[in-house]
Parts: sequence; C-alpha cells; structure tokens
Amino acid sequence: MSAVDTASLTSPRARRRIILRKRFLRRPMAVAGLVVVVGLTIVAIFAPWIAPYKAGATDFNALLAHSSSKHLLGTDFLGRDELSRLIWGARASMQAGFFATVLAMVIAVPIGLVAGYYRGWVDTVIARLTDVLLAFPFLILAVGLSAILGPSLLNATLALGIGAAPALIRVARGETLALREEDYVPAAIANGASDATIIFKHILPNMTSTLLVQATVTIPLAIVGEAVLSFLGLGVQPPAPSWGTMLQDAQSYLSQAPRLAVYPGLAIVVAALAFNVLGDGLRDIFDPRTTR
Amino acid sequence: MPLLEVSDLSVRFDTDDGPVHAVDRMAFTLDEGEVLGIVGESGCGKSVTCMSLVRLLPETATISGRALFDGTDLLALSPRRLQRVRGREISFVFQEPMTSLNPVFTVERQIGEVLRRHLGLSRRAARKRALELLRLVRIPAPERRLDEYPHQLSGGMRQRVMIAMALACDPKVLVADEPTTALDVTIQAGILDLMRDVSERLGTAVILITHNLGVVADLADRVVVMYAGRKAEEAAALELFAHPQHPYTIGLLGAIPRPAAGERPERLQEIPGRVPSLRELPVGCAFADRCPRADERTRTNVPQLAEVRPEHLVACFHPGENGAG
Repeated sequence: MSAVDTASLTSPRARRRIILRKRFLRRPMAVAGLVVVVGLTIVAIFAPWIAPYKAGATDFNALLAHSSSKHLLGTDFLGRDELSRLIWGARASMQAGFFATVLAMVIAVPIGLVAGYYRGWVDTVIARLTDVLLAFPFLILAVGLSAILGPSLLNATLALGIGAAPALIRVARGETLALREEDYVPAAIANGASDATIIFKHILPNMTSTLLVQATVTIPLAIVGEAVLSFLGLGVQPPAPSWGTMLQDAQSYLSQAPRLAVYPGLAIVVAALAFNVLGDGLRDIFDPRTTR
Repeated sequence: MPLLEVSDLSVRFDTDDGPVHAVDRMAFTLDEGEVLGIVGESGCGKSVTCMSLVRLLPETATISGRALFDGTDLLALSPRRLQRVRGREISFVFQEPMTSLNPVFTVERQIGEVLRRHLGLSRRAARKRALELLRLVRIPAPERRLDEYPHQLSGGMRQRVMIAMALACDPKVLVADEPTTALDVTIQAGILDLMRDVSERLGTAVILITHNLGVVADLADRVVVMYAGRKAEEAAALELFAHPQHPYTIGLLGAIPRPAAGERPERLQEIPGRVPSLRELPVGCAFADRCPRADERTRTNVPQLAEVRPEHLVACFHPGENGAG
C-alpha cells in the first residue's frame, strides 16, 4: 500500500501531522538541529548520571591537564574535569533558555493579544512602551535588569525573560492585528462569543505556529544571554558550573590553556546554532506557501 | 404582534471625512416563520440595517431607533445581554463561507462551541447535536465531516456548516446576508432549497439580504426594497413582482435576464447613473438623478412612504407600474 493510501485512511489531524513530519524530514539541517537540541536536553536533565565527575570535584594531581583517558577534555586551573563541567553547565544554559523563553511568552502573549485585539489607546500605550524597550539592545536590557535583581541563575533567567518579552509582544500584537481581521472573528461575534472567547479560542490557536518558531529563536538568545551574564558575574556564581563562568575562568589562562575557552565557546555556539536551524526549519514547514 | 418590529432605525458612521448616513429611518416588521427579503444595490444599507440590530458594526457607528424583539428593545440591551441574543435568538449566515470558519478547528468544534456556550451542552451531547445539524443541512457523510477541518470542505459544504452553526440553538430569526453570492450557480440552488426547507420545517423567521431579485422571488414572502439607506418600496413578494410601483424597483426588475427560447435575447435594461454618495445625499429623492420620472418636486422634497395599493408601500411622488407615472 502506498503512502497516499495510508494517509487517506487516517484522520485529518493525523494526516496533517504526517505531512508536517515529511516536510521536516526533508530538511537535513533542521533534523540535525533537532537532534542536537534533544541531545542537549537529555544531557542537561541527566547530568548527574552522565558526567564522569561532580562539577566541583578537584584533582590536584592534574591542574590544567591535557586530554587523557582520565579526563577526556582535560582539566581547568583547579583540576576540575572539563567535560563534567561542560555537562553540568548545559543545565544552567538549558534552564535559562527554556524558562526565560517560557516567562517571556507568558508575559508577552497576553499583552500582545490585548493590544492587538482592542487597539485604541490600550494598544498605543503598549506599543510605544514596547518600542522604548526595544530601543535597548536585548543584552544591555538583560544586564541592566539582572544588575538590579542581583546575581544568581534565577535572577538571570528572570532578567532574560523580561528582556526578551518586548520583541515577543510585538510579534503577538502584529499577529493579532492581522488575525482579528479574519472573517471568522465577526462570525464568532455574531454567534455570541465574548471578547475572551475570541481572543483565546479563536485568535491564539491560529498563532501557535508563529509562537513556536518565535520560541526557537528566543531560546538561543537566552542561552547566549545566560553565558554573557554568567561571564560578567551576574548569572551563575562560581564555583557552580556554567558555560559563561567557564569562559570567565579560562580568561586568565588563555595563553597556557586556550582549549579551556574553546570548549565552552563551542558549546555555546553549537547550542545556539542548533536552536536557530531548528527554528528556521519549523518556520519553513509551517509556512503554507512551502510546497516541499 | 410581530416577532421583530424595527422602527425609525438610523445608522450613522463617523468617518474622517464626516458623518455617513448609512441607514435613514428604516422600518420593517418580521412575523414568526416569515421570510423577508431585503433587496438593494451594494452599499444601500441592507447589511448595515441587520447588523445594527445586534450591534455587529464597528465602533464608529451610531445607532438610533427601536428594534422590538419579543417585547424587548434590542438597541437598549447591555452588551452582555446582547451576547446571549447573538447566535441564540438571532443568528447570521454571512456571504463568505470560505473564510468565516476558523481554520484550526474541526467542524465539530465550530458547531459545538456555539452549543456549549448558549445551551451549556456537554462535549458528548454537543457532538450528537452537531451530527443532527449536519444531517439537517444535508451534508453527505456527516459522521466523517465532524472531524474534518474547513479547508477539506468545498464552498457549498462550508456554507452548509455555517447554516448548521446558525441553526444550532434553534434561533427565532436567521439573517442570511447574501448567503449564495460567493457560491457557484449550481450550488446556489441547493443552498436556497435548504434555506426554504429549514424555515418551513423549523418555523424560523428569515431575513434574506440579497441584490438578486431571483433569489427573493424564490424564497421571500415579503420584500423590502432599499435605496441609499432608505426604504423605497415594500410589498408581498407576489404583489411586488406583479405590480412594482417605484421606478427603482421597476429598473431592478428590468435588469433581470430573461432568456426566451428561440428569440434573440434582448439587451438588458440597466439603471442609468450611479448610487449617490451617502456622504452627500441630495436634498430631494435620492433616486432623482437616475429617475425617468424626476421633476422639480422630486429634486427638492423627500418622498414619504405611502400605501398606494393594499399592503404596498412606496416612497415616490410618481408611483405606477408603467413609465408614465
């Protein structure tokens, strides 16, 4: 039986899923991105079981050691296993990436929906405030906020989430402005739907794919942001591991052990890149104009 | 007592270029189970008249007058109470079936949402009722359609789903705003059949808005002809087609193609000129500039509605069936 025959037997919902999966699998970069993202997530969640050593375990017989069978990627200036610290560091990065993005969504989507749906002065106020916040580069905003909140991973995540919100508000508002003009909105009003029903049941579900793509763009921003904040001493506090603090530590030993800067740097690049190519792929497959 | 009694209904839009009087002192009644046709060219205020009843207009619209529905004035209802009228007592079928359904929901959810909102049905009961409704609107393979998305349905089928949604709560009034305009001619007949069948079987009163006199002749018991926001003529459908009085109505009837076998078709009669801008209506009769019967009085005075034949109202200084007036 051919693929078309099987598809015609299944429900429309399942059929759409099959189409989306096919489109996705035709994009090797996106698939690679997904593999890396899933891998990083597993590493972050199961760090205690995967990492060969505890993050803070020191080996004073091997300070700034090169790769060996004992320490696959060598050790840092305190003799801490570099690979283990990278694995533990993935936790901070992924936590900051996911939770900051979730927070940004929770803040931004309702505000964007309300602004776009009601328009008028509510929208004017929200849109102008958003513009003001967007005038600050994302990292500057996050640095400023976490300086106010105080240094810790939680506060860094909060700062990144709030900092990422304005861009998302703008996206959610723009989508809402477009979607509220669809014919099904007046049709729903004519059927007695309340404003809340229209906003959350009719408009919001129509922008989920946009929001999903936006999330995959925001996560790498937050991952890089967490590294920056930790590097500056505003995020994860040493000796706790984070790719940002590892870079910070590596700074003093750049001439003796440049690899200590290369590993966390690579980790940051790979993680950010993986989310970005995944996001690009998702955007392509959700685009109705895509035919492949 | 009529089910719906609209009197002195005016709608004004405040635009950047000044006020636009879309509807001017409109009045009509609708009895239970009756099919009322409202006819007129684009922009004559037929849709605005009906949408103003349950306030479906943008905020720039100012509505005045009275619309007694079952003894309560719709125009004085609070927004909350009005939400319970919309889709429950008075429901709408719009022109655009292709886009009036939400693309991310299955047919079951679209219909079910209305049922659960207004009747508080459970999910299971709503599904059962939705299936009944799909049968009522004669959709083939209704069980399968329940789980399909709008993009999987044809235009005619979507319009049937829209009608099913509109009928979901057994409303007293169904407003059908150009329900067949966006459909193929072959499908149109089916939808009109369905509308007639439904109004007869369920006893739903129907307001049929259209620019197509053929559709009206087919379905309506009574017809209101609107021109530039005002009522030009009103009569029972048969009476109107047999004895049109207003030169505008006569012009509209002349513009219906009537191919006769074996003859070379005659050139269609068009009505000369254009609809006046609602922004600057002429002082006198709004139709004067296009009217073969216009004279001095027509250009300076607005004709009032008068009963020229039994149950037949016309707003014209020179009513009559033939050109002389």
